[in-house]
Amino acid sequence: MDLVSLQGWLDNASFAVLFVTMLLYWGGTAFPRIPYLAILGTGGMAIANLCIATLLASRWIEAGYFPLSNLYESLFFLAWGITAVHLVVENSSRSRLVGAVTAPVAMSITAFATLTLPSQMQNAEPLVPALKSNWLMMHVSVMLLSYAALLVGALLAIAFLVVTRGQNIELRGSSVGTGAYRDSRRQLRKSSEANQMAVVVAETTSAIETQTAGSTAVLDAVATSTPVATEPLSPQRLSLVDTLDNISYRTIGLGFPLLTIGIIAGAVWANEAWGSYWSWDPKETWALITWLVFAAYLHARITRGWQGRRPAILAASGFVVVWVCYLGVNILGKGLHSYGWFF
Amino acid sequence: MTSENPSTNWTAIPQRYLKRELFPLLADLRLAIALLLAIAVFSITGTVIEQGRSLEFYQANYPEDPALFGFLTWKVLLTLGLDHVYRTWWFLALLILFGSSLITCTFQRQIPALRWFSRTWNFYTKPRQFEKFALSAELDHASIKQLSPLLEKRRYRVFRRDNTLYADRGIVGRIGPIIVHASMILILLGAIVGAMTGFFAQEMVPSGETFRIQNIFDAGPWAGAQIPQDWSVRVNRFWIDYTPEGKIDQFYSDLSVLNDQDEEIQRKTIHVNEPLRHEGVTLYQADWGIAAVRIRLNESPILQLPMVEIGTDGGGRVWGTWIPTKPDLSEGVSVLAKDLQGILLLYDTEGKLLSTVRQGMSTEVNGVTLAIAEIVGSTGLQIKADPGIPIVYTGFGLLMISVLMSYISHSQIWALEEAGKFYIGGRTNRAQVAFEREMLEILDSLEPSTSDAEAVSDPKSLVPNP
Repeated sequence: MDLVSLQGWLDNASFAVLFVTMLLYWGGTAFPRIPYLAILGTGGMAIANLCIATLLASRWIEAGYFPLSNLYESLFFLAWGITAVHLVVENSSRSRLVGAVTAPVAMSITAFATLTLPSQMQNAEPLVPALKSNWLMMHVSVMLLSYAALLVGALLAIAFLVVTRGQNIELRGSSVGTGAYRDSRRQLRKSSEANQMAVVVAETTSAIETQTAGSTAVLDAVATSTPVATEPLSPQRLSLVDTLDNISYRTIGLGFPLLTIGIIAGAVWANEAWGSYWSWDPKETWALITWLVFAAYLHARITRGWQGRRPAILAASGFVVVWVCYLGVNILGKGLHSYGWFF
Repeated sequence: MTSENPSTNWTAIPQRYLKRELFPLLADLRLAIALLLAIAVFSITGTVIEQGRSLEFYQANYPEDPALFGFLTWKVLLTLGLDHVYRTWWFLALLILFGSSLITCTFQRQIPALRWFSRTWNFYTKPRQFEKFALSAELDHASIKQLSPLLEKRRYRVFRRDNTLYADRGIVGRIGPIIVHASMILILLGAIVGAMTGFFAQEMVPSGETFRIQNIFDAGPWAGAQIPQDWSVRVNRFWIDYTPEGKIDQFYSDLSVLNDQDEEIQRKTIHVNEPLRHEGVTLYQADWGIAAVRIRLNESPILQLPMVEIGTDGGGRVWGTWIPTKPDLSEGVSVLAKDLQGILLLYDTEGKLLSTVRQGMSTEVNGVTLAIAEIVGSTGLQIKADPGIPIVYTGFGLLMISVLMSYISHSQIWALEEAGKFYIGGRTNRAQVAFEREMLEILDSLEPSTSDAEAVSDPKSLVPNP
């Protein structure tokens, strides 16, 4: 089969599939009672993932090098990364909300690559001498995977901010382990230990003072359905916001090492190819800025009293930073890292 | 501390100040976050404002009236050093402060915290201790004997004593961040060593010539020992491979390292991504140019005329020279070349294109036969020595490993058998969602009915029920 026409068909197909998938996920979020929407959404995401993988593979065969040399290819690789990260995150969190934020972004990226980019920017071009190295594959693919993971993590943080708007939230789950303890309002104890009630009551009132009155419907539902007093000890489940926050954290936690490795691979390559591992080129600097913003996020999570919305705001701002790092630098149009731009 | 009373021991005051005031401040996470964000913000300015341009450039682009954003005139810009952000004293001071914060935090917080987790006598002996965990349960028909193999199958390290159990998995997740910090300190250290003892040089050398490294444009205060004194380099040949479409495929320089007696001691053909290394000095293929054109006029011997680069405003690179066609130099042709593909353009004194000649061919100009023997390329070499590299690379390697280690979540599980009841509780520091599922699975296999009955929401759906 003709590889070029196959590619033309595949990029449109992945856009169409992602568009439908986005509608499925949104439908599933709006109407959680409709059956099969979630499984159809996951299926759509998997099909899009395979479409893009085939597209990139056919370009690899056609051009003879790893297809990451221009904006079109890198956009598709990023979209592939987002669908892949989505599948991993959805599988490990079992949350259908993930797709509601990842599908539109993956769809927009493929739409941009397929419909907006001029056709001469879609063609495979021969590599310039500086990029003829095995490091290209190492550095660029790891960087783009890290962007994908960080974007998904930042999107989940935005979703978290939307769900918790107007509230003061205390969260669990950070790397020092201040979380993972029972919410004192929901502390369970047996009647035989009623003599310790006094202490617990004191704790409870202070906890209520720190938490504002307006709590989400979800939190209320969980709190009221928890059995009280004489019940035996049983596990306390994570709430929706806890889950959202934690999968966002874990996704960023995965993107951050990838970003670190990608930057280091780039630094080593630069040192081997032209003698300087760091030269403050705009793209390098923006990758460092991205790294610093997410490092600040990871540290904010373990800062006492900051667990909650504050780190999520940092992570959400990371969404913009990643895009500036990935696309913004092209508009400056300088240096080795530029894919070029079209206006 | 030898003295409790500061007034009796003056030498203790700086120590006290360090311990009580400075170290806690430097180890404060909020300072670290502020520093990370400050470095990020100041780095942005360096990507928005063009770096290292001429005074005229800044005067033209950042006029006094109207000032950009009402304040950013070229004077303000140059006073603040925004034309070379990454080398200003305040940016370097920020980096040094960041390094100090990193070091203090490692010793004040991370290492003491590790000591706590390395202990394995972490057994819980009272049912009350299990109440603080979110993920804890009280079961009637389970035992430690039953739990132990379940945990081992999940790759937990299991410790047992009497009627209690402690198990953990992923302690590397606690060590990872410490190594991350240590390797970042190492990278900063390597960068300092490199800046102090390394040098950068650039040479533009025509094919066939020998050079010593002289054109050093950046050297640290202690770089002297690195600059080679007893060897030179000969460029045997420089050439460019072109693709069939006429685009550059690769640049090559065939280099020989010569000792004092001009004997060859090393030879290598370098290209972009493949440098030559000799005694700690590395030569990179970085640039190229056209050095000269070798011609013959009628029956003359081969003459070599140097070519110079002619400035075009963004129209690509062009080299040119002038070839006289009369002995008294009253007539001649201008010769232009754009690349090393072997084509020369000949213009007359009026600037009219006369003809194009290929390398190895000849043409008739002003009644003279002009034969082009060769277009001589010159190679642009970037030369550097950086003794900090081994330190930086060690830091890079450790950082890559430890940052991955830091993803691992440290999960701990406690269990207790007392008065016919079985208590189990656990927590993890990062992967709350995954650990919750794991705990529920463990509870399920211990006592199949428990977690199903107590589940407060459908685990498949995290969307709020309307």
